[in-house]
Amino acid sequence: MKFWGVRLLSFVLAFGFVYGLDVVTQTAFPNLYRLAVLAGLYVTLAVSLNLINGITGQFSIGHAAFYMIGAYAAGFVSQHMYASQPLGPVLWLVVMMAVGAVFAAIAGIVVGLPSLRLRGDYLAIVTLGFGEIMRIVVQNVDPLGGAYGLNVKPFGEPPKILWLVWLLAVLCIAVCRNLLKTSHGLPFIAVREDEVASAAMGVKTSSVKVTAFVIGSAFAGAAGALLAHSETFISPDTFKMDVSFIILTMVVLGGTGSITGSIMAAVALFAIPEWLRTMQVMIPGSSIVAGILAVGIMVSGFRWVQNNYHESVSKRIGAYLACVVGAAVAAVVLSFVLAFIPQLAQQRLDVAMLRMVIFSMVLIILMLLRPQGVFAHHEFSWDWLSKVLRARKGVTA
Amino acid sequence: MNLVAGLDFSILPQQLANGLLLGAIYALIALGYTMVYGVLRLINFAHGEVFMLGSYAALFTSWALGFTPEALKNGAEKPSSWMVLALMLVVSMVVCGLIGVVIERLAYRPMRNQPRIASLITAIGVSLFLQYAGGLFLPQSPPPAISEQVNPYRKDSDNVRLTLKDAPAALKAQAKLLDAEAGKAEAAYRASEQQDPPGHTTAATEDLRQKYQTLERSAQKVEGEVNGQSVKLNIPFGQLIMLITTIVLMLILRHIVMYTRTGRAMRAVSHDFDSASLMGIDVNNVVTVTFLIGSALAGAGAMMYATFLRTNLTPFLGVTPGVKAFVAAVLGGIGNIPGAALGGILMGVVETLVIWLGFSGYKDAVAFVVLIAVLLFRPGGLLGSSKVEKV
Amino acid sequence: MNETVLTLTNATIRFGGLVAVNNVSFSLQKGDLFGLIGPNGAGKTTCFNLITGVYRPTSGVIDFKGQNIGGLPPAKIATLGICRTFQNIRLFPALSVLENVVVGAFLRHTTSLASALCYLPPSIKETRALRQEAFELLEVMDLSDVASVRSADLPYGKQRRLEIARAMATQPELILLDEPAAGMNQKEKEDLQSTVRRIRDDFGKTVLLIEHDMRFVMGLCERIFVLDHGEEIAQGPPEAIRNDPKVIEAYLGEAV
Repeated sequence: MKFWGVRLLSFVLAFGFVYGLDVVTQTAFPNLYRLAVLAGLYVTLAVSLNLINGITGQFSIGHAAFYMIGAYAAGFVSQHMYASQPLGPVLWLVVMMAVGAVFAAIAGIVVGLPSLRLRGDYLAIVTLGFGEIMRIVVQNVDPLGGAYGLNVKPFGEPPKILWLVWLLAVLCIAVCRNLLKTSHGLPFIAVREDEVASAAMGVKTSSVKVTAFVIGSAFAGAAGALLAHSETFISPDTFKMDVSFIILTMVVLGGTGSITGSIMAAVALFAIPEWLRTMQVMIPGSSIVAGILAVGIMVSGFRWVQNNYHESVSKRIGAYLACVVGAAVAAVVLSFVLAFIPQLAQQRLDVAMLRMVIFSMVLIILMLLRPQGVFAHHEFSWDWLSKVLRARKGVTA
Repeated sequence: MNLVAGLDFSILPQQLANGLLLGAIYALIALGYTMVYGVLRLINFAHGEVFMLGSYAALFTSWALGFTPEALKNGAEKPSSWMVLALMLVVSMVVCGLIGVVIERLAYRPMRNQPRIASLITAIGVSLFLQYAGGLFLPQSPPPAISEQVNPYRKDSDNVRLTLKDAPAALKAQAKLLDAEAGKAEAAYRASEQQDPPGHTTAATEDLRQKYQTLERSAQKVEGEVNGQSVKLNIPFGQLIMLITTIVLMLILRHIVMYTRTGRAMRAVSHDFDSASLMGIDVNNVVTVTFLIGSALAGAGAMMYATFLRTNLTPFLGVTPGVKAFVAAVLGGIGNIPGAALGGILMGVVETLVIWLGFSGYKDAVAFVVLIAVLLFRPGGLLGSSKVEKV
Repeated sequence: MNETVLTLTNATIRFGGLVAVNNVSFSLQKGDLFGLIGPNGAGKTTCFNLITGVYRPTSGVIDFKGQNIGGLPPAKIATLGICRTFQNIRLFPALSVLENVVVGAFLRHTTSLASALCYLPPSIKETRALRQEAFELLEVMDLSDVASVRSADLPYGKQRRLEIARAMATQPELILLDEPAAGMNQKEKEDLQSTVRRIRDDFGKTVLLIEHDMRFVMGLCERIFVLDHGEEIAQGPPEAIRNDPKVIEAYLGEAV
């Protein structure tokens, strides 16, 4: 009975969370509503890619393709069939999620098959290539709107879209978490760790890999279906390679294999650029160059401390702080110096344009300093955090 | 019959020639991918961005030499010479070579002992960084292009023309005759028009005009037939320079790799990185030289791409040729230098063939289709050999 | 008791021009402790790879309990009842010691993936049962004290023992051990010898092992097969092998 109690409680918590989000965004911050929808979609995308990339270790960098296939499949069906069926909008949206998921899952099988023969960087390239092929095909198919895009507006404002988005995200998280909680998850990790050894233990590596692709892409497809209806317009440009790279950055930043890591990274990486966009500050080019250089200085300082400075924890933290301070000083000095270059100083740049620059820098810096991601393979929990902190103290003593 | 199922076979040789020229550029870029992969087993995603920066380097050089849009406004002419082209080429190669070395030193070298996926992610990061940082600072709207006036050999009369198959003499004679008659009829009509009072056209003039137009139309029709039955090649002289430069650069590369000490070290490192370092080869040095040469070749390709193929420059310019060149390298057998050259030319030809077949919308997708097919069915590429993992 | 488990008949594999294993034939009875020895590069591990399906034999028959398993996929062969360890240890580094063993035991799972994804009670029960079973196996292999340690953090000798535990978890009929004693000290080797004996005596497994340490093999195996340049040079009980001039020649070079 305890089991069902806990389960009921988690359902209540999930609904409570979504309800709270819905109420808060609808009443207090209406302009955050769309952002909350998009953030939920990115959480689903990151967690589902984490299943393929992080847990199963099949390095896919074309996740936007499944997102796109789900969006276009659901969008097309919705646009042509909504009028001639009896379902109400909310139920219809649920059906459309299923449509998106099924189409994306079929694509997932198609992409999963090469993964049976390829690994590592070659598989990465093939998934990227598949994404681009699908995008170019959509661009050339007129019934899908070609390069101009497709309107998806079968009814007025899509109702309860935030609910659906976040319940999808919760479902995706729950599925991945359940997988890891039961022994069924172990073959997936085993395939990531050592394919030859897994096969020798009787793990059907092919079906494990394809299963991961199917589940991961189905969730991306369902997310795509919701995107199509919430944005009411999709075009091939919505799903460029960059989107795949953003999702990848989220997974990598969170730590490959860590579900909680993916969630936090998705929210953080989604929030930072949106926050930048609202700032609407114009910064002289010289300051941006100075900032990039200062970050470079800070990272090389960090690396030096990491590799060469084997002192007590407190001294090391001091050294890291010194790097930060040094970088800040360097940023100020450099922006003064660079201001003497007229071409740079006169160029005024909108901060929002820094979005992808920041993404790429996060990716590089992370690889340089902590390639296993912030949480590595761990899940974030208070136990884990306190263990880490205690371990730190142990080193000091 | 020169038209089968809507395909114009008379332009096929010209298309193949264009493909070859485009392929030469892809081959130059592919060499960089293949050399780096050979030595480090790393797909250098940022290579396409090095190419992009090379085209901007060529643009800025041309501006520094006075070929700026302002100076050339309103049809102003500025004389150029081969030295301008040579200087642009050298600057582009040097700049790209240095950028390649810097990228390796700052981003890839610290990743040397990490899993390969970590280096791959770094490479993607560097690629995105260069694209979007370039997007912040490089001139792009409207997309600048290198002035065609830097090319001293741009006149039509400089083009290399070849007639592969001529139309029948009788047809040509007929065309000439019709052309002459049409010319005469036009003269008669113009003369009559001159004599008419202003604002009024007499019936005689109208009659002459119709006669002239009928003749002109049939002359054009026969002319079209002549063109359809003859097969000609027309290659701008600049593109010929491009092809020759490419070949020369490849021969130099071959010499370096096969007959110099550095080249021998490069081959050793690509054969077995760890053993080579144990044998006293300065691996870091070899990697630096590899990036220097590979990136400089991309720089040469970029200068010629931007100058002779007259491309508009954007910070995202490198993505598509980069991907195609990467596919070329895989197609030829990644890590294999002659393979990259072969793969590049094949990719160029395939691309123009796809356009010729009428699928120009899919020309960028074809590269990926080729890639997936190669990886699935012949993972070692055309000239490479595949390795089996040791258990 | 004289039931044939595995028979190799003229098993051969070529890599290009190189014949790595040439016309090798031997057969294992149920409960055998069979040693496969030979100088470096003799083709011992390749033999294992043929039996476990990593490579497909160029010709010849590999018969396991009346079924030709030559060329079947490795996972299929594992389900039939052959499991192995690896010469260059291949554990799942990020998994804990216990989880490594559960991967082996997972072969016998009965609940569906869907039930696991919904976290239904049968899957939870099964997970618990498999972990319990794995823990008992760890106790046998004397690894229960490190059950929750990441397998990558184990010392070398324990990693080798964990490989054996993991293979045992699939409950194979035939277990192949590839250099199980490599890198162990004398004490560890002696412990391993008794463990391998227990695997045969207490668990009734048939054991085929590759080993370089002559003392280890001679003291453990009841029958030995000697391979050199991919070909059989001797086969028989330890005493016969020890005194076989062809074996001595293969190991020490031409006798003067």
